[in-house]
Amino acid sequence: MKRLISILIALILAGAAGAAELRVGLLRLNDDPRFDDEFAYARIALRPLGDVRTAVRLGISDMQVLTQARGITPVLTEASVDQDGLIEAAKQMISDGVTHLIVDLPAANVDALANALSDSQATILNTTAPDDWLRLKCHANLLHTAASDRMIADALVQHAVSHKWDSVLVLRGKTERDAIRADAFSQAAARFRIRIVADREFDLSTNPSMREQNNIALITGGRRDYDAVFIADEIGEFSRYVPYQTALPRPIIGATGLVALEWHWAFERYGAPQVNSRFETLAIDGRRMGWQDWSAWIATRAVLTAFAKTRSNELTDVNALLRSPKLRLDGSKGAQLSFRPWNGQLRMPILISTHNAVLNVAPFEGFLHQTNTLDALGFDESEFACD
Amino acid sequence: MRNLLLAIFFSLLPLSASALDTGRIFVSNEKSHDIYVFDADYNLIKKIETSRRPRDMKFNAARTLLYVACGDDDIIDVIDVETLEIVDGIPTGPSPEVFDFSPDESQIYVSNEEDSMLEIIDVEVRITVHDVPTGAEPEGVIVVPDSDTLYVTSEVADMVHVVDRVNGVVTNNIIVGTRPRRFIITPDTNELWVSAELSSEIYVIDRTTEEITEVLEFLPPGFRPEDVTPVGMALTRDGKIGLISLGRANHVAVIDALTKEILAYVLVGNRAWSVALTRDEKIAVVANGLSDDITLIDMETYRPIRSIPVGRVPHTVVIDD
Repeated sequence: MKRLISILIALILAGAAGAAELRVGLLRLNDDPRFDDEFAYARIALRPLGDVRTAVRLGISDMQVLTQARGITPVLTEASVDQDGLIEAAKQMISDGVTHLIVDLPAANVDALANALSDSQATILNTTAPDDWLRLKCHANLLHTAASDRMIADALVQHAVSHKWDSVLVLRGKTERDAIRADAFSQAAARFRIRIVADREFDLSTNPSMREQNNIALITGGRRDYDAVFIADEIGEFSRYVPYQTALPRPIIGATGLVALEWHWAFERYGAPQVNSRFETLAIDGRRMGWQDWSAWIATRAVLTAFAKTRSNELTDVNALLRSPKLRLDGSKGAQLSFRPWNGQLRMPILISTHNAVLNVAPFEGFLHQTNTLDALGFDESEFACD
Repeated sequence: MRNLLLAIFFSLLPLSASALDTGRIFVSNEKSHDIYVFDADYNLIKKIETSRRPRDMKFNAARTLLYVACGDDDIIDVIDVETLEIVDGIPTGPSPEVFDFSPDESQIYVSNEEDSMLEIIDVEVRITVHDVPTGAEPEGVIVVPDSDTLYVTSEVADMVHVVDRVNGVVTNNIIVGTRPRRFIITPDTNELWVSAELSSEIYVIDRTTEEITEVLEFLPPGFRPEDVTPVGMALTRDGKIGLISLGRANHVAVIDALTKEILAYVLVGNRAWSVALTRDEKIAVVANGLSDDITLIDMETYRPIRSIPVGRVPHTVVIDD
């Protein structure tokens, strides 16, 4: 038995000898406002605070046998920096030989980075910024593995249409991201003639003079009926109290209740349980794999797959495959994935989920598209124009 | 030497004589945890309750016993083909899916998708004698007849591992398409076919050179390339006709296995996976995972002739004849 193991190690080492190094960078903010755990009320973390580093490591480990067979050694370079040091850190990585930069950053930072690196050879992979305006910029050096706001909205609307929810009450928070989410939902709803009966801004205070905005029964009340309540609440503080307290007994979607996500720990099909259990084994705190982890994992796999499956060591050939429909990436969601050529967005199925179950996978049956049904989610080529 | 050969000859005789040739069709159902057994006239004769999540099935050479890998109970159930009772169980590592036997049936090779291992189990003493590390999520396993070689796929690493099963080491890796699933070997043992579910391809590998010689693609009328998710395969005994199940494209492709020319697309149920041929090769039986039925295909006209309901999420079909 021992002898066998040593033979194996010898084989692995033999494969690694003379291997080409592939430098992948991972860049984050150490003061990312989206993951500020101090913000959480009474120390209850309302948003996933996971570090996508685990997911990137899982991606590298999942691909290890393949990269070894191709004689490629992936080397991960990481940096977690302040807002001010971001571009400098990225440039440092690139001068150290990083060709693909996986970023876990808010949209404004991704945009600034893509501009700053436009004359380098590096490709940036956006894993956690869903903003559609960032996709409209059409940066040539930028790919997106986070689903866009519009993809998430389209997935929810497909569920609503499938269940004959004809009218929806929209509640939105006061942040910029809440406005973006609520507008994306309203646009997606309009395409399928779902009526928005009212669009109201909620308030987190207990100020009696603002009770129309901060009292759940009042903000969900009024004379008009609705089939569901959509909430845009990036922080999550308001939305968690809305279910079961609405003026009419109606389901809640969007920020809580029924949500649309890239990934869910309870997904049972297409090899997802194995991905989840590998992630939980690797995560130091044993936490479950979240949507942002999937996006970072698939970004890593996309880069390594392009390197391993290109029969050439030229970076231009690798990047050509990375952006080609021939990439045929497996994201354990039952569909072959590739990047949309018009805006660099990864086309993907979206999971319609509750807190502990995946109810369905969008695109739903019957929601068709003339070339690729996955393009029924998000801005399609014909309705898309770069800024 | 001659005495030894004679001894082997005589020891094999009673085994082959004891095959029952019942013509029974066995369908394992992942989510109802049972096996539906049909007689040769397609009448349901028994539902065998198995351990949880029965998936791949194989007969012993004598066809007296049927082995069933049960993924959620980490066991291979052993069923008596005549009495249709579970008579034994062989414990495995977590989540066994696909397996094969050594030619002498002393060892079982099981892909263990949770641990990324190919387990080698000694049937006699019921212990794992060796684990061969593979790429993540190993799936298809096939032992080459009269050879020390076996093949195992890794669904995540997109490759076929060539394994020396005697020494328990990986001797080569062949990179194929996305999410490789199952194998067949042509009767002359020259070609290994592997289905790549998510790149919609069948890779044909020359077993001698271990190089890919052909990549087959399919597109039944009215479907898109990404709907084609091939998994199960079958070949006629003369190696002339191949059947490929196309998954979510809800068809089976019939091909000339020598020229690789597509002869027909046969419409079956939803997400067709496992496919098996009756002994007279007049009928092919296809398991449809998402419509909970099997479809019978007439092999003379290449038309579906009948669909029969089975349990929830049928996985594998095997036929005793």
